[in-house]
Amino acid sequence: MKNKFINILAIVLLIAITSCQKKLDVNPAQSIDEKNALNTSSGVLTALNGAYSNLGNSSLYGGDIFLYQDLLGDAGELRWNGTFAPLTQIYNKAIPKNNTFVTATWLQSYRVVNDVNNVLSALGVVDASVKDRVEGEAKFIRGSVYFDLVRSFAKAWNDGTPSTNLGVPIVLTPTRDITEANQVPRNKVSEVYDQVIKDLSDAEAKLPATNGFYATKYSAAAMLARVYLQKADYTNAAAAANRVIASGKYTLATTFAGVFPASSSSQVPNTSEDVFAMQVTTTSGVNDFYTFYSPSSRGDIDIKPAHLALYETGDARKAFFVTSGGSVYTARHNSRYANVRIIRLAEMYLIRAEANFRLVTAVGDTPLNDENRIRQRVGLTPLTAAELTLDKILKERKLELSFEGQTLNDIKRLQGTVAALPWNSPKLVFPIPDREIIANPNLVQNEGY
Amino acid sequence: MRKPKLLLLMGLVMSIQLLQAQTTVTGKVVDSKDGTPIAGASIKAKGSNIGTTTGIDGIFKLNVSNTSKTLIISAIGYGEQEVAVSENVSVSMAPSDKSLSEVVVVGYGTKIKRDITGSISKIGAKEIGNTPVTSFENAIQGKAAGVFIEQQNGKLGQGIKVRVRGSASVTAGNEPFYVVDGVPVITSDLSSNGATTSPLADINPNDIESIDILKDASAAAIYGSRASNGVVLITTKKGKVGKTKIDFGYFTGTQKPTNRVEFMNAEEYVNYFRQAAIGAAKQDFKLGLYPTLAAATTAENTFVESRLNRYSAGNNDYQTYKVNTDWQDLAFQDAPISQYDLSLSGGNDRTTFYIAGQYLDQKGIIARNSLKRYSSRVNLENKVNSWLSAGINLSFVRTINKRVSNDNAFATPLQLVALSPITPTIDPRTGLTSGALDLATGLPNSNFPVYYNPMLSVENALYNTTINRTLGNVFGNVSLVKGLSFRTELGMDQLNQNEESYNGRLTRRNSGSTYGTGFNASNQVLSINTNNFFKYNMQFKSVHKLDATAGMSYQNYKNQGNSVSARDFPSDEFKKLASAATNTAYSSSETEYTFLGYFARANYSFNDKYLVALSGRYDASSRFGKNSRWGFFPAASVGWIASDEKFLSDIDWLSFLKLKASWGKTGNAEIGNFASRGLFSGDASYAGNPGTRATQIPNPDLKWETTASTDFGIEASVFRSRISIEADYYQRKTTDLLLNVPVPGTSGFSTQLRNVGKLQNKGYEITLNTVNINGKKFRWTSNINFSANRNKVTDLGGQVITGLNVAKEGEALGVFYAREFAGADPATGDAIYYKNTLLPDGKPDRTTTNDYNQAVDVVIGNPNPDFIYGFRNDFTYSGFELDVLLQGVHGNEIYAAGGQYMTASGSNGFDNQTRDQLAAWKNPGDITNVPEARLFYPNGVNNSSRYIYDGSYLRVKAVTLSYTLPSSITSKLRIDRAKFYVRGQNLFTVTDYPLWDPEVNADFSATNIVQGRDFYSVPQARTIVVGVNIGL
Repeated sequence: MKNKFINILAIVLLIAITSCQKKLDVNPAQSIDEKNALNTSSGVLTALNGAYSNLGNSSLYGGDIFLYQDLLGDAGELRWNGTFAPLTQIYNKAIPKNNTFVTATWLQSYRVVNDVNNVLSALGVVDASVKDRVEGEAKFIRGSVYFDLVRSFAKAWNDGTPSTNLGVPIVLTPTRDITEANQVPRNKVSEVYDQVIKDLSDAEAKLPATNGFYATKYSAAAMLARVYLQKADYTNAAAAANRVIASGKYTLATTFAGVFPASSSSQVPNTSEDVFAMQVTTTSGVNDFYTFYSPSSRGDIDIKPAHLALYETGDARKAFFVTSGGSVYTARHNSRYANVRIIRLAEMYLIRAEANFRLVTAVGDTPLNDENRIRQRVGLTPLTAAELTLDKILKERKLELSFEGQTLNDIKRLQGTVAALPWNSPKLVFPIPDREIIANPNLVQNEGY
Repeated sequence: MRKPKLLLLMGLVMSIQLLQAQTTVTGKVVDSKDGTPIAGASIKAKGSNIGTTTGIDGIFKLNVSNTSKTLIISAIGYGEQEVAVSENVSVSMAPSDKSLSEVVVVGYGTKIKRDITGSISKIGAKEIGNTPVTSFENAIQGKAAGVFIEQQNGKLGQGIKVRVRGSASVTAGNEPFYVVDGVPVITSDLSSNGATTSPLADINPNDIESIDILKDASAAAIYGSRASNGVVLITTKKGKVGKTKIDFGYFTGTQKPTNRVEFMNAEEYVNYFRQAAIGAAKQDFKLGLYPTLAAATTAENTFVESRLNRYSAGNNDYQTYKVNTDWQDLAFQDAPISQYDLSLSGGNDRTTFYIAGQYLDQKGIIARNSLKRYSSRVNLENKVNSWLSAGINLSFVRTINKRVSNDNAFATPLQLVALSPITPTIDPRTGLTSGALDLATGLPNSNFPVYYNPMLSVENALYNTTINRTLGNVFGNVSLVKGLSFRTELGMDQLNQNEESYNGRLTRRNSGSTYGTGFNASNQVLSINTNNFFKYNMQFKSVHKLDATAGMSYQNYKNQGNSVSARDFPSDEFKKLASAATNTAYSSSETEYTFLGYFARANYSFNDKYLVALSGRYDASSRFGKNSRWGFFPAASVGWIASDEKFLSDIDWLSFLKLKASWGKTGNAEIGNFASRGLFSGDASYAGNPGTRATQIPNPDLKWETTASTDFGIEASVFRSRISIEADYYQRKTTDLLLNVPVPGTSGFSTQLRNVGKLQNKGYEITLNTVNINGKKFRWTSNINFSANRNKVTDLGGQVITGLNVAKEGEALGVFYAREFAGADPATGDAIYYKNTLLPDGKPDRTTTNDYNQAVDVVIGNPNPDFIYGFRNDFTYSGFELDVLLQGVHGNEIYAAGGQYMTASGSNGFDNQTRDQLAAWKNPGDITNVPEARLFYPNGVNNSSRYIYDGSYLRVKAVTLSYTLPSSITSKLRIDRAKFYVRGQNLFTVTDYPLWDPEVNADFSATNIVQGRDFYSVPQARTIVVGVNIGL
């Protein structure tokens, strides 16, 4: 019996040992290997969706990169009283080099750039019927992200010489390996703007006029209008804005409240006014304007009387606030599942009005008509031609787009001040994140850090 | 059954041969102290080769020739004795140095302590059992040299950090490898709420017979690729031959926080924030927000008064300090603890068994926290026949842990301390808990109190984790030929966890949902392991002893999980997701790994004096790429029992002296399961459409991290073993560190796992055991263990892992790296920092600046202790026993990360402040370390040495006073034994640390590198229990 037992044991062991060897090959169940991700048309399409998903991250188009502009650009119209120290630092214009929000935004931006570069590198396998659209969307995303990066991490276009000022590194190929070649230096501000315009123009050319809630031809044109305005290239700004308006694809919401449809429980679709918005559903996406501005959420931002005093009597926007426990909050971001509005039609009218007014042209329509479209929507009496001034248009722009992440970029463009700080103060430019300087010795830190 | 028959025949023949002129001696050998039988004692007739050994019952039978007059009786751990030959002999053996005969569990076997050449700490059942703690790691804290144990905080079942001889890795795991009865157990954290839990809390400490911690490479290398951080072998209790023993145990008591922190009262709070308004106004004016300082002051005063009014529940009671709430009181709760144990053990010469059950019912000191554990265990072994035995060790445990949020959540009860003392617990406007209802909206308040009131979660939320766990193995032992046997083990650890949480309507401000949110997650984890190995044991010519082990081991671990989050419930009565209207997140997951290893070990001793051990393991894991899948981990050690040499045997006072040295390599494979691959993950859906994204950059060259360890040790006992000492010096050098190397973010990735760099641990350990008084009635023994470890990252390939805790070349892992705080500028009240930039002469610039960016980071502290120690004294006097354990940690620093809010010069919001902030700068010329109070103008709250504190402590860890009834009474009561005791745990702590408790690491942030941080972390519990143990 013992011998038999031992023989059986030996056989069982032999089988066990040999079969164990094979068990060492275990494959991940939630991920796939890089090489299998981009080898089919549908694979590239899902990777493009992944790029949108990463773009919608809280630190980027989920809202933070715009929120920073409101906080860093504030001069006494709002009061930050939240507990996120990195945002307090931004609000106080005292940003340490290791500010974790700034670092997160930098990393997330380049994550999206890499996502998009992956898509663009695999265009060859994309079905011809969708190839242009895929390329256009990818370039729209890349152009937009570089635009926000260069505005946040480099000197303003109008501050000195853009062709010598340091911008941000331009990376146009996907990363497959990490080598010294990844230690990329900063490109110049003008180079980044050139890349932005190239990407957005390509996108406008390739994208369809309608594309669901994804980027369209006009999303790209609208972003271009913004870029040209930032460069004070008013001719191109007016033309781009006009292409959006003239497409007829978008209409102003009938009331100001209609711009910000509310629902606390489920997704709110884009309005007729949204030219591009990041989608937020109950299960994906995030709206950090809601997170920080809304009293239903953290309610970290009080609106001060100084801001409320700017509105004319009867302005529907003046009433678009909520009061709770002695604090005033904006009512624009009160929906948890509201899409993050990136560009809406009202901004295009305001860009066209400002550009036309400065150029004394009437591309599309007169500045007066554009201005009054915005005024009448909020219940204000239309201005007469005599009453219309550049300041009026700029003030309209400020009030219309308040708390939507435009504050600081407008101050820089218009060479204003942030209280005691001049528009070109180094304190109004983010530091290149410390971790990035350490990981990449070829990067040069910004002035003042 | 051919062979046994043959043996029988041979035996018969032999006995016939020996029949002539013989005496048959029968006898029993017992321990002189407690009368227990001594098994395996050797009996020899003096001057002959005839001998035998005692059986399990201590009984022997020996035929000696009539010429033999004397028997020599010896047993390991007992002094040798000679007795005269007679027909019936009763021998009572006095223990010599019992510790030397201790059986120590080593990988795939056991050894006598005397013969061990590696470094192993053993902790026995007596030191573990009946400790009023949840998990056994707490019970061994301070009891093993070189083993640093730190519980993150005082929440039940929470993660516990265990470091054996320091941290060997920067990115891979640093926890030891845990093995229960030969089976590797699941230790991975399965918590979904951001705070780690320890699956080791599912082990009933009272089931543990011994814990053997393999510390050096020679002891651990047989576990190869997983042994770098030490190996903890847990052996559960087994039955012993004899009468069935029934043991009943019960204890009950209360737990309280070890410490409280002083916060401002209502009057101090109100006045402080009025002061902060003035500070803020100065800054407003400086920034140009107001035309005059007076205008700024008016605006800030108005703002502060309106907020004080709000936090005072919308009235002006704050002006008279009428309400003065101590929120800290509410964070803690009465915390009873009770434990019931019942066990049966015994057996006959064929079958032994141990059957035990336990019920632990414990409340946490923090509100809402409780844990119940039901555990049962059956350990059985049967001798099938002379060459085969088989058995099973099996335990089933159910743990229900009612948890609280992680330390970083607004809902966590200790964040109550952030609320204003002027805020009433019950809002007089509604008669409800403050924050429960805003009369204006009919919903919970959105901005009153200052933060979400955690009491709303205490009252309206739950987070219950239920674990059902089956851990066990079956085994068989076959003796093949003389000296050679084979053992096979098949082990299983099955852990099913369900987490269920519900946040009721009143938690809206925190949960973000008006109609409640729910969450449910399940994990099914199964680890299967088989060990198959041969053991060979042989003695040649009485001087050569060889024992060897060789075999294989395979483990497969698979974790399948799913989770669903949803919201909008019909009412708080409905807590199951079946009633939720909207789902908000859903996921299922699966991950798996396998390990395959072949191992061998040989121990050789010559003359019982010269010891050599060799071991090696050839290991492979699915975690590594095909090209570097296998690793080889060898070890060698030597020992010399010098006291057995002639030239030392004459020294009377020296009872034992052993010198030993070891070298070996061990590995670390505790990284992600698919860390070497370039991955796209499918978790990137956008607006309802599926998406993928690149999540990991490949590294096809990824391989094992290796630690080479050297150990020199000495073991000695002197003065007839009254004093015994063990000392070890070790060096552990880790190379090919598995390191998450920061890469340029412009690549689209932030880190890549690479084999880069080196680190080392050096240290020494001393354990001293003394018998101070050994009277008939009074006995006093002491144990001191002391260990010092120096950790140093020697090479990171020029990288720095940044953060507040960093990994940096030339420094210990996790040192705090931040600006050096220089107090408040006497002229302005600004927080100032030493610049510490390097001057041309290479010295740091010691001038100060108020611009944080002008100063550079320097090492401001080290979370790793310089040394740790335990000091235990045990006094017995007739039936009384007093056991006192002091435990200490020295030379480490703690970063009070919550200081940015609670010790912040009132500059970071309306958080109530620690009282030390009353010393804030007020007027030019003030010399103070507390910068000016400036509401919402953070003044010195960025990471700096402002929040570094000495974390050294000395703790009266455990005091037990027990009384065992004398047998005269127990016999009348018809019981075997009865013991009553009172026990205190964490009774008293001596420390300079100003916050709650110096044994801390914030649960949401703890990693290899991030250590020694305190962030609203629940203090440890001070526990007092009374208990009884009755044996039938």
